[in-house]
Amino acid sequence: MLRNQPPKLWLVFSAIVLSVGSATGAYAKPESEAASSLPWREVGLSERQAAAHLLDRLTFGAEPGDVDRLVAMGLDTWFEQQLAGGLPDPVVDRFLKGFRSLDLDNRQITEIYPDPSMVLRQASRAGVVDDEMVADLQNRERGERPERRQVREYAREQGYRPQRELVGEMVAQKLIRARYSQNQLTEVLTDFWFNHFNVSITDNQCRPFVHTYERDAIRPHVLGDFRSMLEATAKHPAMLLYLDNARSVADEGAPKKFDRDQFAKSQGRRGRGGLGRQGRVGQQGRVDRQRGSSEVEQAIAQRRPQGLNENYARELMELHTLGVDGGYSQDDVIAVARAFTGWATYPAGPLREQVERRIARARRLPNAGFVFEDPFLFRADSHDSGPKTILGKTYPAGRGIEDGLEVLDALAGHPATARHLATKLAVRFVSDQPSPELVDRLASRFQSSGGDLKQVLRTLAESPEFWSVEARQSKIKSPFEVTVSALRVLDVEIQHPRPVLEWVWQMGQPLYSYQAPTGYPDRADAWVNTGALLNRMNFGLQLATGRIAGLDIDLAALNDHREPASLQEALEVYVPLLMPERDSAETIRRLESVVHDPELATKIAQAAPADEVTDPVFDGWDPMLASTGRGSEDRPRRDQQGQQVLGRAGGRRPPSPPEPDHSALAHVVGVILGSPEFQRR
Amino acid sequence: MIDRRAFLKAGGLALFTAGTGPTFLEQAARAATGPGSFKRRKVLVTIFQRGAMDALMAVPPLGDSRLQRLRPRLFMSAARNAGDGALHDLGVDFGLHPAFGDLLPMWRDNNLAVVHAVGSPDATRSHFDAQDYMETGTPGRKGTPDGWLNRVVGELGHDATPFRAVSMTAALPRSLYGEHAALAVTDLRNFKVDLPGARAASQAAGKGFEALYEQTSQDLLRDTAAETFEAVDMLDKLDVSRYRPMAGVRYPRSTLATSLQQIAFLIKSDVGLEVAFAESGGWDTHVQQGTRNGPFARRAQDLSKSIAAFWRDLGTFRDDVVLMTMTEFGRTVAENGSGGTDHGHGSCLFVLGNDVDGGKVHGNLPPLVPENLYEGRDLPVTTDFRSVFSEVASKHLSLPSSTNLFPNWSGGRIALMG
Repeated sequence: MLRNQPPKLWLVFSAIVLSVGSATGAYAKPESEAASSLPWREVGLSERQAAAHLLDRLTFGAEPGDVDRLVAMGLDTWFEQQLAGGLPDPVVDRFLKGFRSLDLDNRQITEIYPDPSMVLRQASRAGVVDDEMVADLQNRERGERPERRQVREYAREQGYRPQRELVGEMVAQKLIRARYSQNQLTEVLTDFWFNHFNVSITDNQCRPFVHTYERDAIRPHVLGDFRSMLEATAKHPAMLLYLDNARSVADEGAPKKFDRDQFAKSQGRRGRGGLGRQGRVGQQGRVDRQRGSSEVEQAIAQRRPQGLNENYARELMELHTLGVDGGYSQDDVIAVARAFTGWATYPAGPLREQVERRIARARRLPNAGFVFEDPFLFRADSHDSGPKTILGKTYPAGRGIEDGLEVLDALAGHPATARHLATKLAVRFVSDQPSPELVDRLASRFQSSGGDLKQVLRTLAESPEFWSVEARQSKIKSPFEVTVSALRVLDVEIQHPRPVLEWVWQMGQPLYSYQAPTGYPDRADAWVNTGALLNRMNFGLQLATGRIAGLDIDLAALNDHREPASLQEALEVYVPLLMPERDSAETIRRLESVVHDPELATKIAQAAPADEVTDPVFDGWDPMLASTGRGSEDRPRRDQQGQQVLGRAGGRRPPSPPEPDHSALAHVVGVILGSPEFQRR
Repeated sequence: MIDRRAFLKAGGLALFTAGTGPTFLEQAARAATGPGSFKRRKVLVTIFQRGAMDALMAVPPLGDSRLQRLRPRLFMSAARNAGDGALHDLGVDFGLHPAFGDLLPMWRDNNLAVVHAVGSPDATRSHFDAQDYMETGTPGRKGTPDGWLNRVVGELGHDATPFRAVSMTAALPRSLYGEHAALAVTDLRNFKVDLPGARAASQAAGKGFEALYEQTSQDLLRDTAAETFEAVDMLDKLDVSRYRPMAGVRYPRSTLATSLQQIAFLIKSDVGLEVAFAESGGWDTHVQQGTRNGPFARRAQDLSKSIAAFWRDLGTFRDDVVLMTMTEFGRTVAENGSGGTDHGHGSCLFVLGNDVDGGKVHGNLPPLVPENLYEGRDLPVTTDFRSVFSEVASKHLSLPSSTNLFPNWSGGRIALMG
C-alpha cells in the first residue's frame, strides 16, 4: 500500500476539508458516562431471572453457567463491561487465525479475489481455454458443469483465489464470533446495524466488499456515535456500489466543483485535469483497454455514468436516517442526490494507475477539491456544485465534499432520525410493539447525547419497559439467533461452520444476502411461516441427535456426565439447562405429556439405523436437486445471473455427518430445541 | 391478520384421509368437487429466466435482412432448404428457435402468445439491478420493500394457506419479499418433521411438536404451527413422493422441470395455490451462443420441454392456470467477437393460458435499423413489462387496479387476454 500513498500535501488538504465538514455539525461532546443501574428489582424479578433476560436480549444466548457468572459479577458490572467492549477474545482469534481474507483491505481483495467472469475472460485471452469451454462454463446449469480444472489452474498461477472463499470466510466469521465472542453485545449490535445499513452479496459488484464493510464501517462504530457510522457507510465501496451512488454524477449542464473543460481552456489544452470518465468502478475496472471487442465496449457502457442517480439519497433518508415518514419530499431526494454527486469508489487495476496520474496533476491545483481516502474518492469533476435546499436549509453554491458531509450532519441530528432509530432499537431489544414512552425516552437520549449509541443503550437497559413481563420472551428469535443460541447453550464446538450455516439459510436467513436495502424485517411474523417453522423443528432435532456435520456435541457433559435415569428426569434436568430461569414447570408439564406418550418412547427406542427411509422412484426427479440442508451438500446460492456461489469457509470440505445419536436424551433435547419456548427470547 | 384458521376449516382434508386405493387424481378430483373443499383458485405461474434471454434468437423476425448482417454467426433461416437447423416459421413474420419446438402445439392451439421488444424503461445493463427492478415492479427504485408477486397475493386477499404463494427455490426470490407469507421450498418431500433414517422417531417427534405448539401461549407460533401440521399431514396423505404425472407426460431432468412438476402437483392437489415462482438459469450467452446446438439451444430446450410437460400434465386444470416467463433484459442485436451477444435492453416473453390471445406475436418490434435500436445497438423496449404483468393480473386474477401492484406507474395494459 505504501507505494500508492498520496503525497502529504494532498492528505492535509483532505483533512482540512473533512474537519470543516464535521465541525459544522450540530454535535456536542458526549456527556460524561455514569455507571448504569439496572431496575430489575423494581419489576419484581429475581437477580437470576434478570441475568437470564439480559443474556436473552444482549447476547446471542446464554452459555452453560452464564447466569451464575453474571450474578457473581453483578449485573450492572457485566452490562458496563459489554458496553465498553474490547474484551480479549482468544477463542475467536484462534478460530479466525487460519482465515486468509479477513484482514485484507479492499484493494488487496480486488486483486486476490477477482470476479469469476473476469478470470474466465483473462484465461480465454491467454489461450488457456477456448471459446467453447468458456461458453460451457458460463451457460451450463449446476450439476452439468464440465471440467474446469484448466481455469482453476490458470487462476492459481495468477495468484487469484475464488470468491466463494471470501464469502465462506465472511459467513463463518460471523458464526464464530456470535458463538464464541466475549463481546457479545458488540456482535449483537453489529448484526443489528449491518441490517440497518444493509448491503448484499447478491449484488456481485458489491459482494467483494461486504466483509470490509462490516469490519470497517459497522463494527468499529456500534458502541460509538451514529454520525461516524453514517459517514463510514456513505463512503464505503459496498454501499457506494450497492445503492449506485458511485455512478451518480452531476447532470449535464450543472455547474461542477471542478470543471474539466474550463480548466482545459485556461490551460490551453483539452480535458487534462479531470479523472476521466469512469464512474462506477470496482472489479470491472480491470478491462483491457487495448481490446476493441464489444465486450469491453459493453463494460464501458455499463460503467458510464448517466447523470444523477437517486437511489442512495432516497434510502439514506428513508432507511438510514429520517424514516419513511420523516418529512422529506421528492425535491429533498433530488437535492440530496446532487449533494452526493462525486462520492465514488477509487478504481482498481489499470484504471487506478491512470487515475493516480491524474490525481497527481489535480493535486497541483489548490482549489480543485478532490478528496482521496482509499478506497473512497471524491470526484470534484462530477460534483454538482450548484446551490441546494435540503429540508429547508440552504447549501450555497461552489462547494464540494462539504455538501454531503453537512447533509450527513443535518440528517444525523434530525429529530425524525432520533425517533426512527429509537423505534428500531426498541423493537430489536424490547418488543415488536414498543410503547411510545420508551421510544420518546430513547429518542431524546439519542438527541441529547449527539447520537452516542452507548448512552442510548444505557437508557434502554435502565427503562422499566425493557424488564417488563410483556417484553420478556416476547421476541421470536431470528434463524441465526436460534442457531447460535442452541450452539451456545449446548456448548457445541464448531469444527466446520458450513453445515450448520446451511441450516440458517434453510430456516430463511441467508446471511449477507438480503437483497433489499431495508434489511431483514425485525418482526415475528416475518420469521414465522409454515416452511420456516418446520425447519426450526427439524434443526432442533437434527442438531441434538448429532446429524449436523462439523459440530462436536456432548449432551451428557452438560450434566456432568450423569445420565438421566428416565425421560422425566431428562426433562427436569435439561429444560432448565436449555432455557435458564424460565417458567420451566409449565414447559416440563407440557413436554411430559409428550414424552410419556408410550408411542414416542417406543419409537425412539426403535429408532435404529435399520429404519431407513427408502425413497420410491420418482419420475423426472433429479436427486441432485433434492437438497435438504442435511449438512453435507453444497447449498446453492444464486448470484445475479442465476449461477451459484457456494459459501465454503476456508475452502475446506466439511466432514461427513457423524453417526446419529439414537438415545432418548438426544430426542428429548431435540424436542426442547424445536419447541415454541426455545424460539422465543 | 387474515383468518389463518380458515385453511384448517376448509374441510377438504377429511377426504384425503378416506380409505385406501384411490389414485392421486381421483383424490384430487374428490377434493375439488367435494362439499366444503377449497374453491378452485386461479393460479399464476411465473418463470424467471436469469441472465437475460436473447429475444432475437428465440423469436427472430423473418425478412429483416439486417439480422443476418449484424449476427452472421448466429443467424438462422426459416427456409425449407435450411434443413435440420431451420427455424420454425410461426406464420406471422416471426420464426421460433427449433429448440423451442415443444411449444408449437400450444402456439397452434392459440394458447401461447409472445410479447416482443418488452422490458424495463430503466437503462441499467446490470443483471442485479434489472432483476431487482423487474421483481419489485419498480424500475429505478431499489428500496421498494416488497416484490410484485407478494403484492398480487395481498391484492387477491384470500385466506392465507401455507401453499398460497410458493417459490421452488432455496431462498425466497425478491418477487415474493413482503408482508404476505410465501413458502420457498425446493423439494416438497422434505416438508415434514424429519430425522433422516429414522422414520418412526420422526413421526413421534412430529406428534410431540404438534402437542407442544398447540398449547403455546404465543398466538403466532400456535396458529402457524397448526397450519404447518395440517399442511404436512395433507402432503403426507397425498404422498408427494408417489406423484405421477398424467399418462404419457415425461418431464425432462432439470431444476426447472422438477419445479414445474411440483407446481403441477400443488395445483392438482387444490391446496389453495395462487402464485408460483420458478427459475431457469444460464441465459447470459456472451460466448459461443450457438445456433441449432449450443448453450442457448440447451436452455431453450429445457424451457420448452419443461413447459410443454407441465401444460399437458395439468389436464383439466389448465383453465385455472396462466404461465408467464420473464427475463431481466435483452441482448445486443449484433453478435460480439466471441460468437455471443452482450447485455442489451429489450427482450421477449411467453404467456400461456387457455384465455390468452395466442398464436400471435404481440407488442411492436420495429425494423432493426440503427435509429430504432436502443443506444444504437440493443433491441429496444417498446412495451413496458408492467403492461404485460398488469394485463395478466387483471384478466386472469381479476385484479383490475394496476396502481396497487405497480406504484407510481400509470401506463396502459397491453391487450393479451380475452
